Amino acid sequence: MKDIKAKLTEKIKASFDTVSEKDYNGNRLDFHVDVKIIPQILTFLKVNLGYIHLSHISCVDWLEEGEFEIIYILWSPVEKLKVFVRTRINREKPVLPNIDMIWRQANTYEREMREMFGIEIEGLEGAEEFLLEDWQEMPPMRRDFQTEEYAEKTFWSREGREDAIDVREEIIKRSREEIPDFAKKYSR
Amino acid sequence: MINDKNSQKIVDIIQNWARKHSIWVLAYGTGCGAIEIPPTMTSRYDAERLGVRGAATPRQADVLLVTGYLTTKTLKRVIRVYEQMQDPKFVIGFGSCTINGGMYYDSYNTIKLLDKYLPVDVYINGCMPRPEAVLAGFGKLQEIIAEGRANGAQKYKDNLEWYKANQKKIIPSLLTTDYNW
Repeated sequence: MKDIKAKLTEKIKASFDTVSEKDYNGNRLDFHVDVKIIPQILTFLKVNLGYIHLSHISCVDWLEEGEFEIIYILWSPVEKLKVFVRTRINREKPVLPNIDMIWRQANTYEREMREMFGIEIEGLEGAEEFLLEDWQEMPPMRRDFQTEEYAEKTFWSREGREDAIDVREEIIKRSREEIPDFAKKYSR
Repeated sequence: MINDKNSQKIVDIIQNWARKHSIWVLAYGTGCGAIEIPPTMTSRYDAERLGVRGAATPRQADVLLVTGYLTTKTLKRVIRVYEQMQDPKFVIGFGSCTINGGMYYDSYNTIKLLDKYLPVDVYINGCMPRPEAVLAGFGKLQEIIAEGRANGAQKYKDNLEWYKANQKKIIPSLLTTDYNW
C-alpha cells in the first residue's frame, strides 16, 4: 500500500504544483488542491491513473473560517485505494467548476450541493429546484441556518409540553456518568 | 326512506355497524412505520379477522394510515390522496412523528402536527408502535365509528378554509381544486 501511495503522489506532483498530500492509515490518501485545477486533476486521476469510480462528493461548512470544503472521493478497483481530493472555497461567494462531463452522476451531487449549501456551479445542467419544494429561506444545510427556530416558526409545537422537565441531570446522577464538556451546551 | 329523525338514527346505527366491520386501509408508507404494516396484516397478527384489509388505490379505501414522519413534500401528496378518497373516510396518525414531531421536532422540512393539515380520527402512540398497538388503534377506530363519532371528513369539509390556510402556509404551490361536496 505504501508503494502505491508513494507512486501516486509522485505522479500527481509531477503534473500539478500547489498540491499537498496527507497520508492516513489503511487505504486512504488525501490531496489538498486549489479549486482552479479540480477538473484537471480529476480527469487526470480518472483517465491516466485508473480512479474510475466517483464514490461521493461531500461538502463541509467551516463557518468560523468562512469557507466551504468540497471533498471528492474516488476509488480505484485496481489499486484498492481511496483518494480524497479536497478543496476550499470562499463561503461568501461560493463558485465551483462543473465536473459532470467527467462523471455523469456528479450532476446529482452538484444539484444537491447547490440547493443545500447555496454553492453556485458553473454551467450546471438542471440548476433549478431539486429536493426542496417551495423553499424561501437560506440554504438549510448551512450552519448559520437556525433549524430549531425555523421549525418552531413554521410547524408549531404541540401544546401542553411547556412544563416538560429536563430529567437528564437526574439520570446522570443515578447512573454516575459524566457529561463531556462539548455535550453540555446541547442540554436544554 | 322515512324522513324523520328516529328512523334516520336506526339507519345510521346499521350503517356504522357495517362500516366498522369492513375497514379498507390505504397504508401510505411515508416513514419507518410502514414496516409495522406487513406483520399486522399477515398471519402473525392477522388484522383481517377484524375486518381490516389493504386497499389498492385511494378511491377504494376507507382509512388513510399515515405511517410516520411527513416531510412537506410528502404532505402535498398525502393531501391529494386524502382528497381523492371517497366518503366515509378516516385518518389514523401512526407514531409519535405525526403527534408532535417525534425525533424530527427540529427538522426544517418535517411537519410536527398532522391534525393542522388533515383531520385525524385516531392517533396511535409510540416510536414505533408494535402491531398490537396498531390493532388497538383499529379497535379504537371501530369503536368510534360504531358510536358515530368518527366525523373527521365532516370536520374537514366544515373547516376547509382553515385547513387550506395551514396547508398553504408551508406549501405555497399547492394545487387547490374547487371541491363542491
